[in-house]
Formats: sequence, structure tokens, C-alpha cells
Amino acid sequence: MLRVMFRLGCAAMLLIAMCQSALASEVTLLVSDAGGKPVADAVVAFYDGKTPAINPNAAGKIVQKNKMFNPKVTIVQTGTSINFPNEDTVRHHVYSFSPAKKFELKLYAGVPTNPVPFEQAGVVTLGCNIHDSMVGYIYVVDTPFFAKTDDKGKAVLKLNDGQYSYQAWLPGQNKPGVEQKITIEGATEVKITLP
Amino acid sequence: MIKFKHIRSRIAFTFLTVVVAIQLAGLLPLKYALSKHADTLAAEQINVGERVFVSLLQHNTQSLKQATQVLAADFAFREAVATNDAETIESALESYQGRIRAQIAYYISNNDNLVIGTTDNEQALFGSNAKEDARQAMLENQSGTLKFDIIEGKPYQLITVPVKAPETIGWIVMGFAVDGRLADQIKQLTHLDVTFVQKTHQRDWQLVSSTSTRELSNLLVKTVADIYRQKLSLHSVDLNGQAYHLKIRSLHETKDDALLVVLQGSVEPFTQDLNTLFKVMVLLTFIGVLIFAALIWYVSRKTTEPIAALVNDADNIAMGDYEKEIQVNSTDEVGHLAKALNSMREAVLQRSLRIQRLAFNDELTGLSNRLAFNQGVHQAIMTHADSQQKLSVIVINIHRFKPINQTLGRDFGDDLLRHVGQVLKQNVLSDQDMVARLDADEFAVLLQQTDQAKATRYADKIQQVFERPVSVQGQAIDVRTGIGIALYPDHGLDEESLLNHAETALQESRAKKSPWIVYNTALEIDQSETLTLISDLKEAIQHDQLLLYIQPKIDVTTRRALGGEALIRWVHPEKGMIFPDQFIPFAEQTGVISDITNWMLLRACQVLAGFKKQGLHITLAVNLSTRDLNNMELPEQIGHLLSSHGLDAKSLKLEITEGSLMQDPERAEVVVKKLAAMGLHLSIDDFGTGYSSLAYLRQLPVQELKIDRSFVMFMDKNSGDASIVKSTIDLAHNMGLIVVAEGIENEFVLNQLAKLGCNEGQGYFIGKPMPEKDFSIWLERWEGQNEIDIDIGDDLSYDINPLEIDPQAQDPFKLDNLGE
Repeated sequence: MLRVMFRLGCAAMLLIAMCQSALASEVTLLVSDAGGKPVADAVVAFYDGKTPAINPNAAGKIVQKNKMFNPKVTIVQTGTSINFPNEDTVRHHVYSFSPAKKFELKLYAGVPTNPVPFEQAGVVTLGCNIHDSMVGYIYVVDTPFFAKTDDKGKAVLKLNDGQYSYQAWLPGQNKPGVEQKITIEGATEVKITLP
Repeated sequence: MIKFKHIRSRIAFTFLTVVVAIQLAGLLPLKYALSKHADTLAAEQINVGERVFVSLLQHNTQSLKQATQVLAADFAFREAVATNDAETIESALESYQGRIRAQIAYYISNNDNLVIGTTDNEQALFGSNAKEDARQAMLENQSGTLKFDIIEGKPYQLITVPVKAPETIGWIVMGFAVDGRLADQIKQLTHLDVTFVQKTHQRDWQLVSSTSTRELSNLLVKTVADIYRQKLSLHSVDLNGQAYHLKIRSLHETKDDALLVVLQGSVEPFTQDLNTLFKVMVLLTFIGVLIFAALIWYVSRKTTEPIAALVNDADNIAMGDYEKEIQVNSTDEVGHLAKALNSMREAVLQRSLRIQRLAFNDELTGLSNRLAFNQGVHQAIMTHADSQQKLSVIVINIHRFKPINQTLGRDFGDDLLRHVGQVLKQNVLSDQDMVARLDADEFAVLLQQTDQAKATRYADKIQQVFERPVSVQGQAIDVRTGIGIALYPDHGLDEESLLNHAETALQESRAKKSPWIVYNTALEIDQSETLTLISDLKEAIQHDQLLLYIQPKIDVTTRRALGGEALIRWVHPEKGMIFPDQFIPFAEQTGVISDITNWMLLRACQVLAGFKKQGLHITLAVNLSTRDLNNMELPEQIGHLLSSHGLDAKSLKLEITEGSLMQDPERAEVVVKKLAAMGLHLSIDDFGTGYSSLAYLRQLPVQELKIDRSFVMFMDKNSGDASIVKSTIDLAHNMGLIVVAEGIENEFVLNQLAKLGCNEGQGYFIGKPMPEKDFSIWLERWEGQNEIDIDIGDDLSYDINPLEIDPQAQDPFKLDNLGE
């Protein structure tokens, strides 16, 4: 997955470097909650209004292990297909009632034959019908600029200078906690406080 | 302090008071504890009930929640919810509501205010305005547990359960009506009456449902309203006269609304049991007190009964009944008391017997005393009053007992008295006869049914017994008795006169030296004469009715007249010549003797002075009595007399008897020594009749010894007498005393005495007592005769020594001649 992300990132950077005369600079995101504490797994997506999702046929996977979705929060661009390999010995019944993507993988073990495609942007809440405690989130975004914060609430993005709007979600939240416009000029640090 | 008549009452009262007090002290706290316990039990029941109630609600909640969760977890339902399939949701709710018997069921979505409920309730639940409020309330109740609420004026138990997909996307709410069914269910488990009371903004407190009666419930509503206002949870109330404990718990409370559950427990069942217990305790206490009272009464009776008996016995003793012995039934203190009483009774009895004995007995002889004798005689008279039988009262006197006592000792005298008493007792005629000791030496005998002949026979017998010498303390002694007899009814009709008359007879017997005399009235006159004489005697001294007689005395060897012994005669104006033995004893007793002695001394001095004038130097001897010897002033008086008459001390001789010396030897000795110191010539009179030893006499300053006439009179016929006289003369001479012999009645004796060396002599052969004038004549004649021959003279009458008892025809060796 990381490798996938890395590859995606590299590809994106290549594209930007080629198309946008390589003016990309590093933007550091620091996400904290209302109390000032850094938020891990927070999702941030930047939109420039002109760049669509790249590589619509990209594939990903969310593993079920130890009765948990791994990773718990996954960010994908629209058009990505995600497989749900079951690495547990018990079977799982993965489903989503979310409007962005409704699907159901009835009781199965091992790797399902078909990955699930996510064409519509939105938040998909994953559950397991027989394991109520299992919750996972897939943020399907229609932009190549997105990031997930680490344990320190920090994430790094390479963005060209210009006008952007961004959205930020607390992990598991359906609606973005913050939706704002921002102008990027060179390497900068963006502090986001989620309510 | 209450006074009790009986100890047992006090014991019973004290113990019962204590017992009742203890029982009350126990019962009152018990009563308090019991009612408190009933309260505690009731309160406990309420508390337990409440806990059960809470637990029941929790249980209900849990099961309802689980049931609701089944629906919430249903995948199909969740899908319907997720896809907002309202129709499917509603039908699912409806069917599920019926399945779990909920009155209300609806779904509230999380995001977009979607509310789907069973048609009836949707409107009711939220209305148009309250919809958001209610939803908010649901959301607040995230715990998904129990919640009570009043909806449309009706109370419900609401269970809210989240619907997860997998995150909470909405809520299912199930409502169960709070009604009688719930109340009954609670009551079944808690055994408490359960009442639900509610208040809404539209209506004040009202009853929702209750397990108790309608009336009680309505009453409860009002009470609860009050209590609720006071914010109390546990409360005791009286409803319809019964005590209840109430536990009020608020189930739902908003500004306007409130739903309360009231658990009510009656105290009555507990109090009933405890009251029964208390009543039983009271009954048991009462029975116990009764039993205890009976027991105390019994025990105290048992304890005090013997005491009461002893009190009774003591009363008997106090009343003089000493004979009845007190029963000793036990060995405890009462037994000891009984024993003590018994020994006291014994002692009192002994003492009273002793007192009786002392009162009626003579200690010395063991015979009756005068009192007893008087009673005995009285008793006998009473017994014989009707019969013709006679009684004899005999009084017996021992002659000369006093000198015996004095010379031989009191012990000897006592033994003699005992012996005499014994003799009298041994000779009585019957068992009823009585012997008593009246006085020192006087006995009395009562002979029953005895006439004069028998009485005199008895007297003779006594007389005979005492004719032989009596042996007392190993000494043989002659006892002479006088006996007087008086007979009933001849000589007296009562004991006093009988005894008096017997004593009169005794006096006569003594006076006449007769063995016994039976009373006769003639004696009475003699007796009274004597008494009259005594009263006349003092007058006689004053009126010079007394005469001085002189009995001449000569030198036995030379036959020269030496002088004489002064004697007294009384010429009574009516009775004529009275001899001294008729008045001297009484004079001695009454003390008149001192006057007589003084008169004698005076007269003797006058006579001596007369002879001195004539140139005759003779001596006169005057007898001194016991009283005189005890008169310390006597020497001075005599000295005065002698000097006033110009006489030499040697011309007056003083004769004293052994007996008079013995009365008060120390005093007598003083007087005698004084007299001797004055140069007076002292002579021991009647020597041989007393018991004074020569050794004793030698200590006294006496110069002369007069041998008693009883030894001298028959010395010519009795060789024993002669030898006594001889040895007496020898002894006296050895002691340097002059010896004078009395009672010389013939010349032979005179010559005998001369041969034996006797110094002086007197007697009828020489001259009888004569008046002063005759004595002068005798002197002349004697001196003349003596030259030629000795004339016996024609006067045969006997002279009587004034201080001696008539010596006639008496054996000089007999004790009764010792005189008194």
C-alpha cells in the first residue's frame, strides 16, 4: 500500500514536474483538534479545481487481520478498485451502506476474486456484519492531492504554488470538519484545527 | 418507710417490689425495642423492596434492551435503515413492537431527522413542536438504558438502542406503558404495594396505577404529593389508622412533569407479631410474678412461722409459764434462738424456784422458814376448818445458843442448828407435819391432826433426845430446849395467834425451866406484866424504887469479912419486890441497863463512902453488863464518881462475865485496860460457865476469878466438881489471880475451899444478899460469931445474883446454866 502510495506520489510529481514547469514545493500539514492535540489519521484533500484524479484504474487493498480493517483509514482517488483480502482464520462479511458506495462481500475467506471499484467520491464506512467492532473508512477523493496525518498529526504534500481549496476530516467523520481555500507559495506549513 | 406488722409482709413486699420493678424494667425497653424492631423490619422490607424494584427494572431494561438490540442488529433492518426505506422500517418496527409487547416503537435516524414510528404514537410522541426536543432527549440517553417519560399524559418506560452500520446511524426506541401490570410484577417480587403517581404540566398529582385499594391509593396520592414537596424519600405515614412505611422514588422528573413510584409497606404485620410476642411476655411476667409472690409468701411464712411460735413461747414465759419446754425443730438460727430461749426459760425457772426456796426455805437447815410455816399453818387451818381435828403448833428454842455460837464458833452453831432441825424432823408424826426454823435458835413444828396429848408426847420425845449430849463436829455438847405448845382451835383460830401463843408458852417454859408448856391464858398475863415492868423500869430509876443489896464476902482462910457484892432489888409500888431476873434481861435488851449500872455505881460509892466515915475499909463489887463494857466513857464516869466520893480506887471492884467480854472483845479490852489503869480491881464472874480460855484472860488486866456457884455448891458431894474447882484455883494462882468461890452453902465446903487455897468466898452459909443497913449489922455479928462459931442462920430463902439466872436445882455442868 505504501509502495502504491509512493508510486502514485512519484507519478503525480512527475506529471506536475512535466506539466507545471516543476514549481512544486513541500507543504507541511499539522492537524490538531479543538483542544490543540495532534490528530492522527486525519484526512486532508487539496483541490485546485482543474486537476482530476489521476490513474482511474489504480488498485488497492484493505486487509482484514485480527478482526480489524488495516489500514483503518484509507484515502483513494475516484476510480480506484480495492480488494479486501481476509488474513484472519475466521470469515468476514464486509459491507457498506454508505451512499458513496454500497457493497457487500458475503461471508468469505482468503482473497475475494473481484476487487470493489470506488467511482464516486465520498466517505465509505466499512463494517463486518458478524463483527460489529470492525469499522473502517475509505475516503474516495476526486483529486490527486491528499494526505493522512501520522501519529503526530503531521503530513507532508508537494504542491505547486497556486490557489487551492482543501477539506479535512476527522477519522471516521462523514462530513469534512474543515473546508477552506488557501494559496500556496513555496514551502509552507498549514495548521488545520478540526472541531 | 412502710410499717409492717409481720416480717413476712416486709419480705414479701420488698421482694415483690424488686421483682415487679425488674420485670417492668425489662418489659418497657422490650416494648420499645419491639416497636423499634417492627419499624426497622418494615423499613428493611421497604429497602429490600426498593433494591428488588431497582434490580427488577434493571433486569427488565436489560431484557427489553436485548430484545430491541436484536432488531437493531438485524442486517436487513439495518439495510432498510441505511437505504432510508421508510415503509420497510415502519413495518419492521410494527411487527417487532408486537413481538416484544411494547406500546411504542420508532426509529430516529442519526443524520437527517428521520423519524419513523408506529402510526399511533408518532404524533403523540413528538407532536409538531416537541419533535426536536424528544430527539435530543433520546440522543442524550446514549447509554441505551432505561428512561421513563410521560408521553401524552401517560407514563412509559423507554428503551433506546442504537442502530449501527457499523457506526451508529440511528436509534430504535421501544416504550412500555407504566401500568398495573408492572405494579403487579413488582409487588409479586417485593411483597410491597406499588403505586405509580404522576404529575404533568396539565394535571396535578394523579394516580397512575396501584396494587393497593383505590381508597388507600387516593389517600396516598395526597400524602405523596406532600412528601415529594419536602424532598423526602423514606417516610412513615398513618393511612386509615395503619402505619405505613413509604419509599418514594422519582422515575422521571422535569420542570413540569414527574413520575414517582411509591413502595408502601405496612408496619402492621410486624407489629402484630411483635405485639403478640409482647403480650405473651407480659402474660409470662404476670404469671411469673404471681408464682414468685406465692413462693415468697410461702418461704417467708416458713421462715417467720417458727419465729412467731417463739414469740408465742416467749410470751408464755413472760406470763410465768416456765414449765412448757420450747420445741427445737431446726438447727438453723431459729433453732439456736429456740435453744437460747429454752435455756433462758430453764434459768428463769431455776431462779424462780430458788427465789421461792429462799422465800419459803431456811438456807441453813433446809427447813421451811417463818413465812412458809405461817402459810403451812394457814393451809392446815383451812383444811381443818370443817373437821373437828386439832392442830398443834410447837415452838422449840435452844437454850443459851448465842454463847455456844460465840464461843464454839458459828460453824459449830450452824451444825448444831442443823442437827436440832434434823431431830425435830425425824420425830414428826406424819408426812404432812412441818418443821420450820423461825429465828436464830428457834424452831417451830406443825403437827397435823394432833391433840394436846399427842403434842406433849412429841415434846417429851424431843426432850428425851436432848437429855443425852449431842455430838456435833466430834464434840459432845448438852442441848437444853424450851418448848411451847399451842393448839388449834383451842388457843387460836389463825396462824399468827397460834404462833404467838406457842412462843408465849415457850417463854414460860424457859422462865420456869420446864421441859414444855402448853399455852394457857394465864401465861398471857405474866408476859404482859413483864412488858409493863420494862416500861416502868425507867420510872423506877428516876423515882428511886430501886434498892441496893449486899451479899457479904469473906477471906476463906481467916474468915474475916472483906466486903460484899452489890446487888439490885426493885420495889415496885404495886407489885412489891421484883427480882432482877425479871427485869435485868429486858433492861439489857433495851439499853436501860446502862442507867441501872450507873445507879448501882453511884449507890455503891455512897455506901462505901458511908462505911469509910465509920472507919470500915471494906470493898464492894459491882457487876458490869456487856453494854457497859462497850461504853468507852465508863472509865471516866467511874473515875469521877470515885473522886467525888473521896474513895480509893481499890475499894470498888468490878465484876465482868466472860460472855460480856466476848460480845465485842476489842472494845471491851480497851475499856477494861483503862479501868485497870485507874487502879480498879477487876474480877471475872461466873468463871467456868463460859468458854473463854485462861490464856485469853491472862492478857487482860484482871486480878480476880470467881468460880461459878454451880461448881462449888455440890463439891462436897461430887468429887469431879471438887477437882475442877481445885484445878481452877491452881491455874488461877499460877496466873497470879485471886480466886473467889461463889455458892458456899455449908461449912464443909468452906473448909474444903480453904484447904484448896481458895482466897475468898461468898454464899448463903456466909450471908444472903441484904440491905445496906442489915449488912452493917451482919458485919458486926460475923466478926463476933467468927470468934466463937459459925452460924448457918435461919434464913433459908435463896439469894439471886442480879445478873444471873436462877441457879436453883441445876446441874452446874449443864450448858443451859450458862445463862444469858
